[in-house]
Amino acid sequence: MTEPIVIEHLSKRYGHDVALRDLTLTVERGACVGYLGPNGAGKTTTIKILTSLLRATSGKAYLNGNDVIHHPKAALDGVGAVVEIPEFYPQLTPRECLAYIGTIRGMKTNAIAERSQAVLEQVKLLEVMNSRIGTFSKGMKQRLAVAQALLHDPSILILDEPTSGLDPRGMVEVRQIITELKRTDITILMSSHLLNEVQEVCDKVAIVDRGILLTYDSVQNLSTTGETAVVITSLEQVSPAEFNAIRVLRNVQSLKRTEPRTLVVRVKGGPQERFRVLRGVLSTGVKVVSFTPQHAAIEDVYLSLVPEGDA
Amino acid sequence: MAPSSLRQISTVTKYELLRYVRGKRLFAIILLTIIISAIFLVVPPAIGSSYPKDPKQFVLNMLSFLGILSILSATFFGADAIVSEFESKTGYFLFPNPVRKTTIFLGKFIASALVSAGTIFLYYYIAEISVRVIDGNVPTNITLSFLYALVYLFAILAIAYLFSAIMRSSVYSIILTFFSLFLILPIIDAVGSIAKFKPWFSITFASGIATHILDVPYPTDKVFTTMTAPRAASAGQTLTLAQYYPDVRLSLYVMGAYFIVAFILAITLTQRREM
Repeated sequence: MTEPIVIEHLSKRYGHDVALRDLTLTVERGACVGYLGPNGAGKTTTIKILTSLLRATSGKAYLNGNDVIHHPKAALDGVGAVVEIPEFYPQLTPRECLAYIGTIRGMKTNAIAERSQAVLEQVKLLEVMNSRIGTFSKGMKQRLAVAQALLHDPSILILDEPTSGLDPRGMVEVRQIITELKRTDITILMSSHLLNEVQEVCDKVAIVDRGILLTYDSVQNLSTTGETAVVITSLEQVSPAEFNAIRVLRNVQSLKRTEPRTLVVRVKGGPQERFRVLRGVLSTGVKVVSFTPQHAAIEDVYLSLVPEGDA
Repeated sequence: MAPSSLRQISTVTKYELLRYVRGKRLFAIILLTIIISAIFLVVPPAIGSSYPKDPKQFVLNMLSFLGILSILSATFFGADAIVSEFESKTGYFLFPNPVRKTTIFLGKFIASALVSAGTIFLYYYIAEISVRVIDGNVPTNITLSFLYALVYLFAILAIAYLFSAIMRSSVYSIILTFFSLFLILPIIDAVGSIAKFKPWFSITFASGIATHILDVPYPTDKVFTTMTAPRAASAGQTLTLAQYYPDVRLSLYVMGAYFIVAFILAITLTQRREM
């Protein structure tokens, strides 16, 4: 069992409701996997089972080769986790919270002090490291949650919507932290509702709905399969001849005029195909000002896999 | 590598104590202990009355709030200890770490027990110092009385933890702990006096050994008959009441049983509880 995260036939029932159905997923070392799905899809249930907050009804889960269900203490040893938006004891300070977790994890006093300084600086909480958490905003608590997950230099990072509750700047900063972590051989499993965020940060994507894994592939592969809607903006109004010329270009599935100078073209394939279509559009004489995918590539895959109303 | 569970217990205890020190509850219960003690020391001279001549009676007077103080300690430090981790989501910070829930439970319980025992110790300490200064004598068995009070305290703390492990809301857990110990069980004890059955199984009845042990010799059960008031509807009828005293050995067993059963149930339920 060499892969850091191995999930085998994992199921979770709440009475008659099935939250997870026979989920099998393996995350390779050093991968950053975005875990996507609508509300109630089973994302948080998976993460809670992996972090020993829930018991699985059946199936197995291993972290660094350790059985999470039967040996959670060993399994969680090299794992940092942010689950939902955790609350912290309001009477303690960030430094004390990190010291608490560090001691629980068996870190030496010097290492705790050193790492606390580093991670609090990373999440921009150094200035308030000695202030009581009771006065903190939701965003500050979320930053602290990220800090405690990174404190012990984990080999696996499990994040449940890590940018939830953060302001736009905080979101960018957390994404930057994750991007920096990817340079090491840390393995990251990150659930999110933000498809752009996942596309920006992750190498691979797993999409789950109603407890079933729908797809698990690299962002690159998912981007090159299926269709992408591209918005073309022209300097001048596109003539009917130009419009018809674009419609018959190879890989163009459909073409629609939304404004006099704006077209939406659905292109089958990935970046190579989009490039060919762009070249074709330019060759028709259209003065292209912009050629932009309407959604993130992942978004198209997501929308095609997850039925409408599953939210 | 995560340290042994024993070291983790001491870590949890340390930070729980730090939270108590920084919180309002510890301050409130210490203040209450001092106020209760001060009332017994200040009021008699203030109203021109004298202190009881018998040191035993003096201590018994001062310790008359022992039961309520023990119940308040158990409620303050035990009734929401577990449920709050789930309700206020602090469990999301603590549980996804290489530490068992049983370890967290034990660390918390030890911290609650230390703080509660400290409160009761302070209460006894003030009583002992006062009787030593005012009467010059300390009643025999005061140490035994303190030890029995601790047995009762730990038993009701385990009950408070049990409610905390079962309930979904801190408020309900606090209410259930306080009212079951302060109201429901004492009502059963009082009914026993009228219905002439000895409620030996009641933990609040058993807790009486902590103060009765100061009576030398230890009091024995009494049944007595009283006449109803001459103008009452039942004038001329007699009423038989019983005054029961808990047996020391049996009461220790009863409190021990409450502790063991409640503690095992509480730790098992905590271990099984999901977030």
